[in-house]
Amino acid sequence: MFDAMITAAEQLADPTIWLVVLISAVYGVFMGAVPGLTATMAVALIVPTTYFLSPLHAIAAIVTLEACAIFAGDIPNALLRIPGTPSSAAYSQDVHTLTQRGKAGLALSTCLGMSVIGGILGALLLMLFAPQLARLAEQFSVIEYFWLYLLGLSCAVIASRGSKASAACGLFIGLLLSTVGLSAVHTQARFTFGQPELGQGINFIPAMIGLFGLSEVLRNVASGNDPSHRATTHPRMTLLRDLFQQVLPAAWRRRLITLRSSLTGALVGMLPGAGADIAAWVSLGISRRKQAAIAHDDDATRLEGAADATTANSSALAAAWVPALVFGIPGDSITAIVIGVLLMKNVKPGPEIFTAQAPLAYSIFWLFLMANLVLIPVGLAAIRLGGFLVRIPHKVLMPAIVLFCTLGAYAVSGSSFDIGVMLAMGLLGFFLDRWSVPLGPVVLGLILGGPLEERFIQSLNTADGHAWGLVARPIATLLALVTVALWLSMAYPHLTPSRERSPKAIDS
Amino acid sequence: MNRVIVVVWSCMLITLAGCERHGTYPNRPIVLICPWAAGGGTDRLSHQVAFGLEQQLGVPVNVVNATGGAGVTGHTRGALARPDGYTLTMATVELNMLPHQRMTNISYRDFQPLLMLNADAAALFVRTEAPWANLAELTEAVRNHPGRLKASGTARGGIWHMALAGWLNSLDLGPDDIRWISIGGSAPSLQELLAGGVDVVSCSLPEAQTLLDNQRVRCLGVMSQQRLETYPDVPTFVEQDVDWSMGGWRGIAMPLGAETQVVRTLVDALATMAESPQFIEFMRTAGFNRRIARPAEFERVMAQHHEQFGKLLSNEAFAETSEGRFGPMVFPMAAVSLLVLSMGAIWHGRDKTPRKILNRRIKLTRGGAEMLGIMACVIGFVLVVESAGYLITAAVMSAGLMMMMRVRWYWSLGAGVILAGVTFVVFATVLRVPLPYGWLG
Repeated sequence: MFDAMITAAEQLADPTIWLVVLISAVYGVFMGAVPGLTATMAVALIVPTTYFLSPLHAIAAIVTLEACAIFAGDIPNALLRIPGTPSSAAYSQDVHTLTQRGKAGLALSTCLGMSVIGGILGALLLMLFAPQLARLAEQFSVIEYFWLYLLGLSCAVIASRGSKASAACGLFIGLLLSTVGLSAVHTQARFTFGQPELGQGINFIPAMIGLFGLSEVLRNVASGNDPSHRATTHPRMTLLRDLFQQVLPAAWRRRLITLRSSLTGALVGMLPGAGADIAAWVSLGISRRKQAAIAHDDDATRLEGAADATTANSSALAAAWVPALVFGIPGDSITAIVIGVLLMKNVKPGPEIFTAQAPLAYSIFWLFLMANLVLIPVGLAAIRLGGFLVRIPHKVLMPAIVLFCTLGAYAVSGSSFDIGVMLAMGLLGFFLDRWSVPLGPVVLGLILGGPLEERFIQSLNTADGHAWGLVARPIATLLALVTVALWLSMAYPHLTPSRERSPKAIDS
Repeated sequence: MNRVIVVVWSCMLITLAGCERHGTYPNRPIVLICPWAAGGGTDRLSHQVAFGLEQQLGVPVNVVNATGGAGVTGHTRGALARPDGYTLTMATVELNMLPHQRMTNISYRDFQPLLMLNADAAALFVRTEAPWANLAELTEAVRNHPGRLKASGTARGGIWHMALAGWLNSLDLGPDDIRWISIGGSAPSLQELLAGGVDVVSCSLPEAQTLLDNQRVRCLGVMSQQRLETYPDVPTFVEQDVDWSMGGWRGIAMPLGAETQVVRTLVDALATMAESPQFIEFMRTAGFNRRIARPAEFERVMAQHHEQFGKLLSNEAFAETSEGRFGPMVFPMAAVSLLVLSMGAIWHGRDKTPRKILNRRIKLTRGGAEMLGIMACVIGFVLVVESAGYLITAAVMSAGLMMMMRVRWYWSLGAGVILAGVTFVVFATVLRVPLPYGWLG
């Protein structure tokens, strides 16, 4: 195994690989930073060009794209409160609040630093345990997925700041919105009012752009001269100093928490269909449980929450490759494309890929390490460039954001109907914001509502309609217990051990 | 005054660009609609075709994933597009099923077939340790205990479900004698097979290739007339005395009513592309069974499938299969009641959480008018963009918004034009997002 790792590492000494990695990093950061352009789209676009590349080069391009795009989603997230990718939606409010308090530089260097650390830890974990982890993933049937989705949704409520009732309200709005369109299990149209476009349901990317992006513009415009929204003009941008004096020491001080977050990311990311967005929520949920009783609105807890979530979503990426490599079952849409590329290159996924094609398999994880290293300079440059955004006068920036929201919504599937969705969601987001309902849970509800319902009905069908079928398998029982425990702890916060309630300064 | 200037500017832009409108087909980017999500088999094929077609025609070919509605969205959009040859569709077998399922009125008769590229037969898979060694034994098990076995492969009513139901039908068994668990896609269904949630998976051979090669699953038979060249060891259903064959197809089509010259150009380009070594290699390694058919032959295949599905789907027993007591409205009702509950909780706890809520202090004063302005601009964009094109609409919209925000008009116009131009170059040229050209041809 170690020989294979070394052979794999030697292959990467080729300077052309570094070139591919560098170009893909820049491309990935761009695609991730523009809301509406997703990492999946970026990868799908480069597939024809991989025809001319060796398998290693092709994989290098895809891995780097993916790793960089997920981080880059944090840039508009912090600066404009528009998540560039759905994985950033979990901590949108947190990082944006930091930006408004003039700490954009610190927030973004934390996101960058922790993404890199998460990515590297995730890759290392997989390098050591990939085949074993794959066996675990194999055990997941629809029932386990049902509980996993429920757990993810519960984490969204826990992880949100402010009243849990408001967060739950946001979540249920999201779930309700997810029922629009053709129901996958019933093949029956719901709430479409005879409109064929509504049959495809509310696409979550335009919805996310509207909920976060357009609603933010509307809020800015509506607030007129409210100074609290103007605080974003002069962020401190001492990125390198922040990175080395604050982020890295904090990561080391919280090393166990960081490890926990990346383990969470790796475990969730490995399950086909779960992926980076749920990983971010679950990790944030765990970290909020731990900080539950500490002061609600200080910058340190906001920063820590975002750090844990961003660690998890980056480490989830490498994990999604495991089921793809071992079983040929893609963990997300990107790895689905990857399998296509691998087959095209005559690389057959399968359990023996770690023996027969070991150098190639291990080089994937090395490439994740490499991509994360390249991400540091490219990410720093991107943050700097992004920093110019907030210096643009508001009256020019706001119209530009409106244009980008419109364009982003259109770009997803080239339909002007999605622009309408974006507009409606923008209004909804604006009003929810005024009623202090958090928007993150709305997006997660919208993403997970369909799969949750599907898995629920599939589980009941496999169990012949008996409810006990939902806990008839060991892993399902475990997940169910965790979920119920989570609900109980939400309903009775005073049951939390007092140790966690002591105002221990984790980062002060 | 300001508005007048906007109009003058737009007119200038239109006249400037109006010159380049006529020319031989093709002279601008072509859109290839893929009715299925990025990453799937159809999407991969679409990207490969786009890539090959681009070399043949010399203009960019962009893939758009118009997903949703089990294929309704993409096929409908493809059929209703302008038949100018700039919108093509990667049609799939679902086009033959949707009209019978009353999901859409669009059928294969609304398309001008161009070239069929692929046909994949369905096959049945079980776990390696499963007790059934061949089709007869599985049939026996179904006959003895109808309704006990569970199968999946795609969503209810999808092609692989049809294949299984049709097989049962040909044995005079009811469509629910193997219960179908509706799981969207063959990959998650195979995962479910491994995890022990279902007993049988119906999907195409290439989709299960990895698991088959590693002997995690066993193939009981393929629903084709002859054995497949790529899988010579897999027996057909016909060999096992079951006269049933079924499979999916994929091919390129365009809306009806195109000029014959355009059709000929496209068919020739596609045929050359389909014979290229690159494409053959792609189909081989990706595991797609290459089946090339010119328009007449393609149309015949579609007609045959259309009829076959019509018979199968009008079967009374099939129409009655349902999802049991969890009707489509259960989940939304639950969401609504929980929503009401949580709103009640918010109302109940409103005074107990004395948190300062920043947003509440915002007063809707002059901002209200500007909000309306923004919404009007976005709606205007939607209405105008298809006819006027992205460049003009975007420039006018952003300039208008900036003027509304009290930026001087010349700055607004300059910034608007630059913004529109830059975004157009980045999105349409570099990233291949098919932005409408409109009046600029």
